[in-house]
Amino acid sequence: MNQPVPSQQLILDRIRVATQSVAKDASQLVDAYAALPRTYIRRGALSAQARIELMIQRLREYDAEVIESTPQALPASIAAQLEASGKRTFVAPHGLPAEWLAPSFDCPAFNLMLDHCLTTAQIEQAEGVVTAAFCGIADSGTIVLHHSDSEGRRGLTLLPDWHLCILRTSQVVDTLPEYFDRIQQPPALATYISGPSATADIEMTRIKGVHGPRFLAVILVRDDAGNIL
Amino acid sequence: MSQTVPSHVVLDPRLAPPFPQAALPMLRNPQLRKNVAHAIDVIQSKRGKLVAEKTDWQELRSAASAIRAHALDNLGAYLEQFEARCTAAGGHVHWAADAAEARQIILDLLRQENATEVIKIKTMTSAEIQLNPFLQAAGVSPFETDLAEIILQLGEEEPSHIVVPALHINRSQVREIFARTMGLKNLSDDPKELTNAARTYLRQKFLTVPTAISGANFLIAETGSVVVVESEGNGRMCLTLPRTLITLAGIEKVLPRFEDLEIMLQLLARSATGERMNPYTSLWTGVTPDDGPQRFHVVLLDNGRSSILARPRHRQTLKCIRCAACMNACPVYRQTGGHAYGSVYPGPIGAILTPQLMHMEHAQSLPYASSLCGACYEVCPVKINIPEVLLELRAQVVNQERKQTVRFLDPMYLGLRIANLLFAKAWRFHAAQRLGRVGLRLFTRKDGWIHTLPSLGAKWTQTRDLRGLPPKTFHEWWAARAKERK
Repeated sequence: MNQPVPSQQLILDRIRVATQSVAKDASQLVDAYAALPRTYIRRGALSAQARIELMIQRLREYDAEVIESTPQALPASIAAQLEASGKRTFVAPHGLPAEWLAPSFDCPAFNLMLDHCLTTAQIEQAEGVVTAAFCGIADSGTIVLHHSDSEGRRGLTLLPDWHLCILRTSQVVDTLPEYFDRIQQPPALATYISGPSATADIEMTRIKGVHGPRFLAVILVRDDAGNIL
Repeated sequence: MSQTVPSHVVLDPRLAPPFPQAALPMLRNPQLRKNVAHAIDVIQSKRGKLVAEKTDWQELRSAASAIRAHALDNLGAYLEQFEARCTAAGGHVHWAADAAEARQIILDLLRQENATEVIKIKTMTSAEIQLNPFLQAAGVSPFETDLAEIILQLGEEEPSHIVVPALHINRSQVREIFARTMGLKNLSDDPKELTNAARTYLRQKFLTVPTAISGANFLIAETGSVVVVESEGNGRMCLTLPRTLITLAGIEKVLPRFEDLEIMLQLLARSATGERMNPYTSLWTGVTPDDGPQRFHVVLLDNGRSSILARPRHRQTLKCIRCAACMNACPVYRQTGGHAYGSVYPGPIGAILTPQLMHMEHAQSLPYASSLCGACYEVCPVKINIPEVLLELRAQVVNQERKQTVRFLDPMYLGLRIANLLFAKAWRFHAAQRLGRVGLRLFTRKDGWIHTLPSLGAKWTQTRDLRGLPPKTFHEWWAARAKERK
């Protein structure tokens, strides 16, 4: 290593000299942070129904396909979507509830593999992937993955060209700050997906699908119907 | 028709010509100006709509500005916290005092990996330290993976914008570059087909090259996490598939807490590309078993930043989150594009950042590359008062220049010294006024206007007329009026 200690000392010393008149000590720092202004909107004003409608609208604006389902119908919906996609090989994280996938394993039209330490090459071979999600943010149409056992490793939702994501309506929040309110412990890994991979680098023409999955489909499961009605 | 973009562009402030000189070939290139104006119009109209729908936009700006200022005021504490948390999560943190040290650290890490190739996510910081030519010369081939960066790398072009670096190149120029360098004779200029060509070109690289270099949009002190914001998925590829990841980040990129992202992510994409949220945002913390690179290094780069921090009024420059809203809003950038700024950081933020990173020894023309209209300040999501810093820097340039002996006979400084003498005593000033009135009478036409002046004065009258001096000064009129009243 190129003598990291002296440069670290040098840089930190320069910073200390530069900020000596304003920098706080450890306990003051916490208070100073707490005193920072945060007057922006934390909670959205949408009703539960309007929130879900906005989420669907945003996803469709991104050219994502949205399919509505219910907890009872979900396993059948998944199998139907896999079959309807026209693709033949799928992967799914090993922690996805077994009952969700039961009908899909029985379907002869395609092959579904669980990610028990699949190699990159095996994931790359798959044409599609099915995962759960941590949260949905209606304001920006964002799907949040924290890469838990049911959401899969990062590579799993990256290499296959088609991503079928299962989002429950109880997971959908109105604004970005509401997502942060739901988190007890900051995640070690997170991916925020707002529509399929895209670029506008050539004359600002939006082209869907550069390197990530080119197709995103979302099954929205109405699991808080009581709140909505 | 594809008109070639000037390839002799120099984005090194030590070598680049002064802004007015560098701007000339850009102003004379109608294709380039058309490309730039088109791209900016598209982003600006999208941004305008999305900012308008955000009713708490000003509150978000205030919060973001306060958090960034707080992070900078306490930068030492937050950087040490970041280092501790990142290290605890299995990352290695390196500190680079300048560009040369950062390049060497990265090369040493690549050599440990026996790397001959490295894939890269777009990072302006790597362009700032001129990493690619250095790695190439040392026998490691860097492969850019962002579409715009591929266009630039294959076309041997330079970036002209910090978010859309190839916005000065149009589709037929891209087609020409790809057809030539990828050997695709039958490629059309359809952006979709061009994008597909890039996808195919890179897929194997993503799957086989075991080392990657990224920048960072944010470092989170509380958790030791790093955040990268992107659109294409090339970032996710580089962050996930290789065995080893090296992240190069300026020391100013740190945010105190994870939840600060709730503000920054609402502002960044809307300001940068006119989207509610960019397609992909990735956050990772050190090393995660069985997921992603198992060796992770962060190189924290100073390279002039701590000296910016030392000046309280200049410090706000470091609040920047690199959204490029200022250059999209700038009437000067719109005319010249980015290359005229002679730096990888163009536009208003470049005009204040570049001279400061260079300790004001170079790029002295950049603080003047602005009309001070204030559009950049108005759109800045972290409220950097760019005109204020520009004025500070102009004062600094003047202070440096007037002490130089070569400037002794410079007409501007000579004129100012004479003015200094004249204004020092009232009688000198009055005498000069009388002299001026007599002298200028020669050039004043019957309509009371001066249309042409000789020699240096012509510089003024070339583009505007000057009112002739009135027969009486205000002083004289006032004194005469007082006499009459008596």
